[in-house]
Amino acid sequence: MVDTIVFLVAAVICLTGALGVILARNPVHSALMLVMTLFGIAVQFVSQEAHFLAAVQVIVYAGAIVVLFLFVIMLLGVDTAQNLEIGALPAQKWAALCFGVGSLALTGYIILAVDNPVTGRPGMGGAIDETANVRLLARSLFSNYVYAFELTSLLLVIAVIGAVVLARKPVKQLPEEAGR
Amino acid sequence: MEALLAFTRPPLDWHALAPELTLLAVGTILTLVDIIWDEKSKQVMPTLAGVGLLAGLVPILTLALDGTDRAMFGGAYMVDDFALVMKALFLIVGYIIVLMSVDYIRDGDYYENEYYTLMLTSLLGMLMMASSRDLISVFVALELLSIPAYMMAAWRKGGRRSNEAGLKYYLMGVFASAIMLYGMSLIYGLTGSTSFSSIASAMALNDGVTAMSILGVLFVLIGFAFKVSAVPFHNWAPDTYEGAPTPVTAFLAVASKAAGMVALIQLVFVAFDNHEVIQPFFWLIAALTMTVGNLIALRQTNIVRLLAYSGIAQGGFMLVPFAVAGQASERALQAIVIYLIIYAFMNLGAFSVVLAVSRKTRSGELESFGGLFQYAPGLAVAMTIFLAALAGIPPAGGWFAKFGLFRALLDAGGAWAATLGVVVAINTVIAFAYYARVLGQMWFQPIHEGDERPIKLTSALGSALVIALVATMAFGILPGLVGHFGEVAVLSTLGR
Repeated sequence: MVDTIVFLVAAVICLTGALGVILARNPVHSALMLVMTLFGIAVQFVSQEAHFLAAVQVIVYAGAIVVLFLFVIMLLGVDTAQNLEIGALPAQKWAALCFGVGSLALTGYIILAVDNPVTGRPGMGGAIDETANVRLLARSLFSNYVYAFELTSLLLVIAVIGAVVLARKPVKQLPEEAGR
Repeated sequence: MEALLAFTRPPLDWHALAPELTLLAVGTILTLVDIIWDEKSKQVMPTLAGVGLLAGLVPILTLALDGTDRAMFGGAYMVDDFALVMKALFLIVGYIIVLMSVDYIRDGDYYENEYYTLMLTSLLGMLMMASSRDLISVFVALELLSIPAYMMAAWRKGGRRSNEAGLKYYLMGVFASAIMLYGMSLIYGLTGSTSFSSIASAMALNDGVTAMSILGVLFVLIGFAFKVSAVPFHNWAPDTYEGAPTPVTAFLAVASKAAGMVALIQLVFVAFDNHEVIQPFFWLIAALTMTVGNLIALRQTNIVRLLAYSGIAQGGFMLVPFAVAGQASERALQAIVIYLIIYAFMNLGAFSVVLAVSRKTRSGELESFGGLFQYAPGLAVAMTIFLAALAGIPPAGGWFAKFGLFRALLDAGGAWAATLGVVVAINTVIAFAYYARVLGQMWFQPIHEGDERPIKLTSALGSALVIALVATMAFGILPGLVGHFGEVAVLSTLGR
């Protein structure tokens, strides 16, 4: 019963998003709709007990790839300023609210359905077994691969530093430099 | 809940990690100093970075004196003599490059502080590479050393050439990484493990020669062939080397290439046992790299480009012993390690001279070396020694490196090794032709643009030059020095 409801809700989210990608006239909207579809798919993964895939779906696709899309689109210059007051239909705000509350409820359900790591209480969906993907993955990530894992964080930091330095426009001649 | 508590932290050997942690700490200190003192800190940055690199040598010395092999994380991270030799090499090379960078980066309109942070991070990746005995560690190490290097290649932000250099390097590097990852996933799928020793035993069980394992192995090797700019995966190198700031070029040509070689050494000598696939691959690549690199170098008129192609060709020489990795593994490994060490110093020396000369002439063309002997005899003599070393003429260091190659080939024996030996010999002669052109410019040509002002050597660049010169000569006259490191490295790697 619960499974069916989750499936239906997620399916609606997926399809709405997918339609939105095609129908939206603004490429930024299309990209955002794609995020919605990917989130829906992530929920489907969770309901299939593929927790790791769900996490990767959110982190890699929704988090990284679509954000990259957005960057590219914005770099290419979709900068027509939009007046939020005019375009919005009155119903839109309510629809947004409903979707927001709905997503929150869904998240809450997922938290309840799986094991609670703080209280140790098994969720409604039954206890997670020891051999679950996420747990095994976490274990190897923090034992055999911990060194590579930690250094990856350094890699990301340094990539950000370098990218900022390379992308930054020299705003003005710094006073110290001008004096030399 | 009990399951959560049951997790125990993997044992950490802080002593073994000390060299990397030192670099990490110095990098953090650089960033902090930069944030706190901002522009005022520019003066101390290179000093801090240099001292930090030398400080990293201390734990390496104590580890070497201790002498026990340390394995961590289920064998994914090994600190043995091979790793220590290579780490020491990376740190010293890094120190020399910091010396070379000081004035270049200060004079140009560059971001100074981030430059040194990026370089330290890249070196950290190289240290990690020397210890990695696991596909994942190798990959992370490769990215850690490459990504800062991509950005350093584009450090001359205003210049189109530098932008081109960074972009080309980045795109080709990412492409290579993708191919390599594909290969790694094939190997993992096949053997069910990422650790080198398990891969070796799993491949031995399966006879090692299936279509999938061949594909996997070749893809991984091709990924690193990009890194060491082996022909036909070399097209990024000349443009990147020419466009990047010259100290960065030296960094790429020496440190980055050495790191790629270190990875190849570990893959070929520890992980992949199927030599019937690897040897012909390396035979072909080594012969191509030497020949193409040398032939194109003959036609270059820009000194940095010439050194770039010479570096490609030297990389080819270094790949030669891989082609006999099966028959004469000991000699082959020794030859590569020795070649790497000697190549690092002679090539850094040549780049230092180029830097010193171009500081005055503001030109990278070969003619700018015209008549160098008449107004800067010291530099001309130093350059002569470095070029002689690169060409393999005793008593400068390079001859011993080439000698090692021939010894490995002779040990292996057989028609294939003999043909490769002939290719090496022919290429040594071709290489001499273009090194001689530079020599001719310096000694016999008229002074470039009649500008006879002497070259002022800054103290940092001078020290870099002296270190490289002393090392190059020492390795040539007392080859036992570097030979010892080679032997030490061999014992630990093959004593699995």
